[in-house]
Amino acid sequence: MYEFAPVLGTALDRIVRPVARLLHVTLGLSPSQVTWASFGVSVMAAGTIATGRVELGLVLMAVGQLLDVLDGAIARLYDLRSDAGHRLDTRLDRASEIVIFVAFAVAGLVPPLLVALASVAVLLLTTVVDRSKLDPGCKRFALYFGIWFPYPALCTLIFAVNLLAYVVGLLVIDCRFQLRMDALDGDLDTVASRALGREPPALLDRRRTAA
Amino acid sequence: MKIFTHALATQAGVQALHLHGYEIALAYAFGVAVDVDHLLKAPFYLRAVGLVDRRGYYWRSSLQEPVALLWIVPLCFYLGTFIPVLFFCVHVAMDYSVSFEKLPFYPYTHTVTRGWLLGMTDNRKELILFVVLLCTNLLLYLGRR
Repeated sequence: MYEFAPVLGTALDRIVRPVARLLHVTLGLSPSQVTWASFGVSVMAAGTIATGRVELGLVLMAVGQLLDVLDGAIARLYDLRSDAGHRLDTRLDRASEIVIFVAFAVAGLVPPLLVALASVAVLLLTTVVDRSKLDPGCKRFALYFGIWFPYPALCTLIFAVNLLAYVVGLLVIDCRFQLRMDALDGDLDTVASRALGREPPALLDRRRTAA
Repeated sequence: MKIFTHALATQAGVQALHLHGYEIALAYAFGVAVDVDHLLKAPFYLRAVGLVDRRGYYWRSSLQEPVALLWIVPLCFYLGTFIPVLFFCVHVAMDYSVSFEKLPFYPYTHTVTRGWLLGMTDNRKELILFVVLLCTNLLLYLGRR
């Protein structure tokens, strides 16, 4: 989550260390169990928002997000990081966000089309964020500002920011690929197909780990 | 394709669909201005090739490949108009008639294509299209008067 700002991740880990120790050492919870707990609380938050109790729903959403921070912190502090855990965290994070967005539509606070578009933008960004390392973090967090701004405006903001980050992310990935193509030199007319044979080291490492 | 040909195609579309104001801006943004990504790739070109005309250098980006439809279609739903997707598709279709390598769905797939109509030279295709679009624009202009 904090690959783009490791300093922030480290500082956050230091703050939540006592709670992470309580959950992992005292209660014996694994990072994946905390991830599922975070998703469960987010579903409860969505249910609460859908029934019109928005303030309570936002409190539950905050608890869900806190648990979401803690699963990563436990994984980092106790060296339990894994690709499977990262995938589970990402998938349940997106599921939590979409469930909460849908709850706002069910409650009649945001038009369904806007909810669908915000969800699509968030999902699109997720497809490239591991490679672009560009995540503005403007997802369900923006909904806390509903105290001051109308929810449709916040949903529009989520849509716009994530869609823009997606476009910029694609360009970032593209520029990195261009560097690989340029490094090949030679006949530039056929260099794209040859450069594709040279995958980035991170991707190769991940494949080796999976194998 | 060259920017003048894209501009002619966009102008023909603008005239044929009787677009106005904001719609014209959208048409030109997605029919012509998506070529702005060449500016982004210009430093790469200058570093790799220098100030020489080297045809075939991949200086396109995902901004003008079919993969961009993934964000253009949701944008169309948000704006409530089909103009961006229509003019973008015309732009892409024209570019895909030029025979240089393209990466239509990068970074999702590694497919490389040279597009269509490969039996004809690029210059001939561009010339024919330019003349056809020029005549279409003239006919549309005269038809409206």
